[in-house]
Amino acid sequence: MISPFSIPYIIGGFISLLLGSFVVSKNRTSPTNRTFFLLCLSFAVWLLAYSIAYSTKSYKIAVTCASITCTSVTFVGTLLYHFVVDFLDLKKERIFLFAAYIFTFIVSIFFITTHYFLNGVYNYFWGYFSKAGPLHPYYLVFQTLIILRAEYLLYNALRHEKDKLSPLRQIQIKYFLAASILLLPGMVDYIPKYGIEIYPFGFFFILLFLAVVGYAIVRYKLLDIEVIIKRTLVFAGLLTSVFGMLILPTLIIQEYLFRGAGTGGRLAGLTISGIIIILTMRRIENFLINTTDKYLFQKKYDYKELLKTFTAEVLTVLELDKLVNLTIDKLVDIVKLNSAAVLLLDDEKQQFKIVASHNIKDQSVTLVRPDGIVTFMEETHGYILIKEMREKKIMIPDSIQEIIIKLNAELVIPMVLHEEVIGILSLGKKKSDEDYTQDDLDILLPLAKTLAIAISNAELFVELGRAQAEAAQREKMAVIGTLSAGINHEICNPLGIARGQCEAFLLNMKDGLYKTKTSQELIDKAMDIMAKVIKETDRATAITKKLSGFAKPSKGEAEYINLEKEIDEVQGLVGYELKLEKIEFEKRIQKDIESIFVDRKQFQEVLFNLVRNAGQAIGEKGKITISAIVENGKVLIDVRDTGSGVPEDKIKLLFNPFFTTKDPGKGTGLGLFIVRQIVEKNGGKIYLKETKVGEGTTFRLEFPIAAREKVKVKV
Amino acid sequence: MIKPRIVAIDDEPEFIDMLQNYFGLRGYEIDVAIRGARGIEIVKEKKPDVVLMDLKMPGIDGDEVLKLLKSMEPSPKVVFITAYDDGGKTKARLLKMGAYACLDKPISSLRDLEETVNKAMST
Repeated sequence: MISPFSIPYIIGGFISLLLGSFVVSKNRTSPTNRTFFLLCLSFAVWLLAYSIAYSTKSYKIAVTCASITCTSVTFVGTLLYHFVVDFLDLKKERIFLFAAYIFTFIVSIFFITTHYFLNGVYNYFWGYFSKAGPLHPYYLVFQTLIILRAEYLLYNALRHEKDKLSPLRQIQIKYFLAASILLLPGMVDYIPKYGIEIYPFGFFFILLFLAVVGYAIVRYKLLDIEVIIKRTLVFAGLLTSVFGMLILPTLIIQEYLFRGAGTGGRLAGLTISGIIIILTMRRIENFLINTTDKYLFQKKYDYKELLKTFTAEVLTVLELDKLVNLTIDKLVDIVKLNSAAVLLLDDEKQQFKIVASHNIKDQSVTLVRPDGIVTFMEETHGYILIKEMREKKIMIPDSIQEIIIKLNAELVIPMVLHEEVIGILSLGKKKSDEDYTQDDLDILLPLAKTLAIAISNAELFVELGRAQAEAAQREKMAVIGTLSAGINHEICNPLGIARGQCEAFLLNMKDGLYKTKTSQELIDKAMDIMAKVIKETDRATAITKKLSGFAKPSKGEAEYINLEKEIDEVQGLVGYELKLEKIEFEKRIQKDIESIFVDRKQFQEVLFNLVRNAGQAIGEKGKITISAIVENGKVLIDVRDTGSGVPEDKIKLLFNPFFTTKDPGKGTGLGLFIVRQIVEKNGGKIYLKETKVGEGTTFRLEFPIAAREKVKVKV
Repeated sequence: MIKPRIVAIDDEPEFIDMLQNYFGLRGYEIDVAIRGARGIEIVKEKKPDVVLMDLKMPGIDGDEVLKLLKSMEPSPKVVFITAYDDGGKTKARLLKMGAYACLDKPISSLRDLEETVNKAMST
């Protein structure tokens, strides 16, 4: 037969076990969670063993139980201390912790094997209870000191390291400190050990401790455990327990007042219960909703966090893909949603397509604009809240209804920019089963609006990148146009030879000028000419190949670049132009210079532009020198010319778009502007190093050395 | 009919070779040079009727050679054969400087060139 005095102990023991197991199940590898479990276990063993001792009639069993319970309790203080050391990550404290464990182990062995600490049991009105031995007071001092030490450590962290702790962490520590302080009065359980007959109600303080820790877990993610409590579940639980409590007294009343009254008595009892329930039902329900809402669900989600995250992390993202995915991730995470999706309008097809989603089975859902979703949302004040629709009995058109089901949506918000719906934000039910409130809408509606701006920004940015690339390409083609004289010269020369050699042979044959030659001589002559033609056409082809290779747009991928090779390549292209104008070209590259990591084609374009500008600054007869050295982890490339120099008033304008000193047709003026864009995109810098009117100009490029073992220049 | 004496100056040896091959076989007296400076010497020595010349050459360019030849007595007729094309600007300049003709490389027909050479002597 279970003694009524055992019941609170049994309940306490199981609750303790339950919470401990829950905590450790959330993170099996975390030392804090494991220690917490052990702490709960020692509570549980303590309580459950006593519950047996109170209920048993056997002295022997009682002594065994007392031994078990006391041994278990010896660990409570040390485990609490251990938990705090881990929780606050106090490395220096570990040596004391180690000593405390050794001491605890020794004491626990003494508890079991000797009578110094535990000396049999008392038989009190509630049952058997352990009797303190002669050394027990010393152990008591140790236990008290170690708990106080743990509490002091928590207090100390709050007081002295406040700046290092996040507000959430501070609250967590505060709650744990409060819980452990609440544990101290549990020491009342030691009083009966010294022969004073007071029912040990320490279990109450253990329950308080567990309750506070549990609350901190639910509300403040203590131990990083996130619990989402279904609101309905809590109500159901609370309502049942409250009515259970109400029914209990009526049942007791029934037993005492109408005892032996039979069915009539029971009916009377039930009637009283029923009346009480009917009278109080509404009020209790309201009270429960209000209190639980206030204390458990108030946090719902942190508006501040939502706003902070979106302004700091999400809305500034310029990559469309990343932006929409972050939006979904953060919304799901912070508002705690079951599902969510962002749909964007495809202008051409006039339909909304999912671009990012969470927990949506049918990814291919599309909303065709003519379906009327937009007009429908306009009619419904700019959003669709399914529950509200149902309550107000507003009909949702079938086509929209179907999509809402597919999207798993509870709240659908259009993203509007300049009165145009550019996309749709679809939010599913909250994990907590709570409804969307006006507060939610007040923050989510403007958020959707801001999101529309961010999405439009990202789209424009993509567009801008494309426009920039196109401008760079156009500029390149324009620049190639300015090379046409040199390239034409270089192609027409070999063609002139090939054509002339062939024509001369044909005409000589026709005119009978080869009559004296033997056929072998003629064949030899023809073969000689063919070889020449092949050689010359190859020469012409090589140039066109170089040119078309250069004209192709870059792939936009960085690679390791051998400076010398790239300079040669560029020289191959501008060389003819320079040769025509009698401009000398010299390169001075530091031996074994390190590679740089850039887009090869873009780097060529940059060099090409600079060399060609230098050539144009010189006009005729002069010298262009490209030199490259390494200094302070950077590759410094100078392009120096002996040209006309830049007048002082023009220096500031050099990198402006459309600034040019050249004659019409010789340059668009985008040259240096685009060069700078390209250089910066590749992680480099470009600036005017020096210039003197009439003497020349030097531009400098700086690129970081590629983080790889240096690549030897092949000679 | 006396065939004109020709000196050809071009930095492309294969082109010169072709001209020599064509005109030589047809009984023209033709001398060649692949540098402007050497060309001037040959012109001074041979006193040709017509000089066939490239414009862009290493060292002295064709237009400078033209200036010198124009100051010579007797002054040969100068026919430019060049691949340099800047939309006719240079051509106009050369003609103004006293060049007899400017032909594009590749030459459209060697017969036309021969005709031009003969015409040049007779004017």
